[in-house]
Amino acid sequence: MSIELGHFALVLSFALALVQMTVPIVGAKLRNDTLMRVGEPAALTNFMLVALSFTALTFAYVQSDFSVLNVWENSHSAKPLLYKITGTWGNHEGSMLLWVLILVFFGALVAVFGRNLPLSLRANVLGVQGAISCAFIIFILATSNPFARLDPAPMEGRDLNPILQDIGLAVHPPLLYLGYVGFSVAFSFAIAALIEGRLDAAWARWVRPWTLAAWIFLTGGIAMGSYWAYYELGWGGFWFWDPVENASLLPWLGGTALLHSALVMEKRSALKIWTVLLAILTFSLSLLGTFLVRSGVLTSVHAFATDPTRGVFILGILVLFIGGSLALFAWRAGTLTAGGLFQPISREGALVLNNLILTTATATVLIGTLYPLLIEAVTGDKISVGAPFFNLTFGPLILPLLVVVPFGPLLAWKRGDLWAVSQRLFLAFGGGLAVALLVFILVDRTSVLAALGTGLGVWLVLGALTDLVIKSGLGKVAPAVAFGRFKGLPRSVFGTALAHAGIGLTTIGIISVTTLETERITAMQPGETVEIHGYNLRFESLRPFTGPNYTEDQARFVLTRVTGKAMGEVMSAKRFYTARQMPTTEAGIRTIGLSQLYVSLGDQTPNGKIVVRIWWKPMVTLIWLGSLIMMIGGTVSLLDRRLRVGAPMPRGKAAAQGARA
Amino acid sequence: MFWILAAILTFVAAVAVLRPFAVRGGGGEDAIAHDIEVYRDQLDEVERDAERGLIGRQEAEQARAEIGRRILKVSQIAEEQAERQTNQRLTRLTAAIAVLAVPLVSWGLYTITGSPGIPAQPLHARIAEQPADAPIDELVSRAEAHLAESPDDVRGWQVLAPVYMRLGRFGDARTALRNIMRLSGETAEMKAALGEAIVGGARGMVTAEAEDVFLEALKLEPGEPKARFFLALARAQEGATADAQAIWREMLGDLPEDSPWHAAARQALVRSGDAAASSERLGPSEEDMAAASDLSQADRQEMIEGMVAGLDEKLRENPQDLDGWRRLIRSYIVLQRPDAANAALKRGMAAFGRDAPESLELQGFAESLGVAIE
Repeated sequence: MSIELGHFALVLSFALALVQMTVPIVGAKLRNDTLMRVGEPAALTNFMLVALSFTALTFAYVQSDFSVLNVWENSHSAKPLLYKITGTWGNHEGSMLLWVLILVFFGALVAVFGRNLPLSLRANVLGVQGAISCAFIIFILATSNPFARLDPAPMEGRDLNPILQDIGLAVHPPLLYLGYVGFSVAFSFAIAALIEGRLDAAWARWVRPWTLAAWIFLTGGIAMGSYWAYYELGWGGFWFWDPVENASLLPWLGGTALLHSALVMEKRSALKIWTVLLAILTFSLSLLGTFLVRSGVLTSVHAFATDPTRGVFILGILVLFIGGSLALFAWRAGTLTAGGLFQPISREGALVLNNLILTTATATVLIGTLYPLLIEAVTGDKISVGAPFFNLTFGPLILPLLVVVPFGPLLAWKRGDLWAVSQRLFLAFGGGLAVALLVFILVDRTSVLAALGTGLGVWLVLGALTDLVIKSGLGKVAPAVAFGRFKGLPRSVFGTALAHAGIGLTTIGIISVTTLETERITAMQPGETVEIHGYNLRFESLRPFTGPNYTEDQARFVLTRVTGKAMGEVMSAKRFYTARQMPTTEAGIRTIGLSQLYVSLGDQTPNGKIVVRIWWKPMVTLIWLGSLIMMIGGTVSLLDRRLRVGAPMPRGKAAAQGARA
Repeated sequence: MFWILAAILTFVAAVAVLRPFAVRGGGGEDAIAHDIEVYRDQLDEVERDAERGLIGRQEAEQARAEIGRRILKVSQIAEEQAERQTNQRLTRLTAAIAVLAVPLVSWGLYTITGSPGIPAQPLHARIAEQPADAPIDELVSRAEAHLAESPDDVRGWQVLAPVYMRLGRFGDARTALRNIMRLSGETAEMKAALGEAIVGGARGMVTAEAEDVFLEALKLEPGEPKARFFLALARAQEGATADAQAIWREMLGDLPEDSPWHAAARQALVRSGDAAASSERLGPSEEDMAAASDLSQADRQEMIEGMVAGLDEKLRENPQDLDGWRRLIRSYIVLQRPDAANAALKRGMAAFGRDAPESLELQGFAESLGVAIE
């Protein structure tokens, strides 16, 4: 019964979303307060209903209820409980339900936190959110219903794709979806503004925190996905320019641009129309990502099923929302008033440059991702656009952006002094240059890229610190005063510095792994030793082991320094999942400082040896540590109190608060 | 129960839609007041920044002027502040449509997509219900799917027939046995089994049809014990107990002690009231019980072996199936037939060619199971 109740809750949620989509928007048009207020309870109830529905599905997974088609296709009674739960969204139907759950979650958040928004703006925003939910719930019900039943029920399920049975899967999709779907709020605000024909001052204050929250989650989702691919796929690669990865990178680039342009809009009321357009584009890229991944247009781990009706359906949703919103933009953008003016050399100017480069980079990635699809559709030829294309186009675009990042926060609003800022950044520049020279002389004299890239990363980190130092006046005023000022700095300043430093760290990680990595591939038998980067790795034993739903051959390696110092063991395994008859590799990873030793097992050779691949990956952890620091920076910035919306309150109360602050 | 909960959910949703209509709105909020409030906050912020020395005096002055300009601009916008005349009829009409749409759309859609009749079937509950049948069910459905594709696979039918008997699916058992005889010729054993299936279908009554089949079995092999046993049972059911007992005694005489039909005949004699037999033994002995469970153990083994043989056969026809070879080798190891596993490995490698990557992979796999080519 719980399953059918979950199914019914989803259907009911669709009906309610219809109401949420129409009544508040009609109310806003007619200026009828009562009708406008319907959006709020509808959004909250919708969240409750979809949460109920999702819980019912999870429950069916936990109980191995194979009378549910989706559970039978993707679960197995022997699977550990954790993977039964995460299996709920490890498949097409369940992940779409998660998508909708997060969508209505954001709708409910807008309803709760938006009580102090102008009523008509809130009504329109919730109406647009309702429209998106409607489209996706009907998509689920019509083409990918997770509650389809099997009668009679089989006794055993088909198991989840083994490479998805991993803790990474538990975290990666929900984070990614929180990011994707989080941009829907900015989108709804943009559409609401276009419908109303005016941009409130509250608009900018609202769009930024929501975009920031979505951006934090998306950053985390991408980093998590990249780390998961790194340790689970067994080749030690962290980014493959796979179309599916690009599908998540596109909204990230768009979202980063939106974040910065929303900043200009909030502070200076400039770039209003551009920000609206970016909000639309960013969510459109999220939808496009969903389409690419879910339609089965791309074959990869993520395309759980290939079903043309689904593709056509999502394409319809895509055309409706992207086409509709852009048409609305073309029609109504004229009614919005343009904002303040500024000199080219100014904080605004720097942010415009940021936006220009980021949108161009987005377009580049978009072309690289869609071009093969287009070629295949037109001529039938299958081509693949891989890393070389992106390295040659995306790299040269994004590197100059990274070079100028430290200048941005130091420039003054409206009109800045580039020369003064350069002087202030002199130390940071010197530090970057020194590190580049050191890398060139001490580490690798053949790779200029390694030296320059590491220097660039250091320049970014030091540049971010310089911003903090200068804003707190360290070195100019007494240390005590400087410390007082440092503590008093707005959190958004720390957020900016952290996020920019994080980018620097990630850059160092990426550059050093791609240029300085060393690799050994050799056939080994127990007792043999191989040397890599100053470490000896001795193959100790190969033993069979039986897990809950797999069997594996575990290889134990003993790691010592060349000097003889023992470093402990590394375990690497080849797994075989019996239900799906599928082998996977479990890499053995040993973190030493910021670098990692990566051991992965290949096939057995006829003479009884086993192929072992060993990589030395210098500074590789910085890639994800940097992302983590970016996320922390975003969170710090999000916690800044001035991002809150100014609410109209009784005069006395507002004044009292002003006095306290 | 389901419908009650569904109705409650619908009610909650309808209430959510109706709530704003029930609560009288507390007057229109003013978008412009909002804007001015936001700008006032920004002014406060500029003051704070200026106090801390984060921005210079001149910058602060400029910012103040800028925000002041914005406030002026907003105030100047003469928004039509005309009283919002709430059209009562329109409001009520919308409320009615909205609140009707919720149950109509949801119940309408659910009748199309839902299956309210199917209860939830958590696995642990199902296993608790039918512990023994659980794995067999699955084997049967798999075998059935296979036979639907290749109905001429005699091994498949041979595997399924006894399983159907045990599951009480006598009609299916008859089909399976007829298929076996169609494909591999008639034997006494099969005829007798068919007869037993007919008896099972008739709830234990030895019908005339069954009797004919048993007689045919005896024609093919005069001593066939199962046929003799059931023909005796037929006599007993007619009331000719003496005739029945005569046959059973005869079976006790000429069947070896360890034959399952020896025990069955003795039990039948006891039940039919033969004093001599009952004084000999009262009820089934422990040995009988053991024999019976041996029988099912043997049947089970036979079933597994049948499936493995089927796989073996399939690989003869289609040897380019790496996964199939892996499964076969593993099965032979499980059945503790290392020679057969070794032979399968050799055949598999021959099929791919000795130096093909598949062969090497297969060899590696076999070695991991302890099968080595000498």
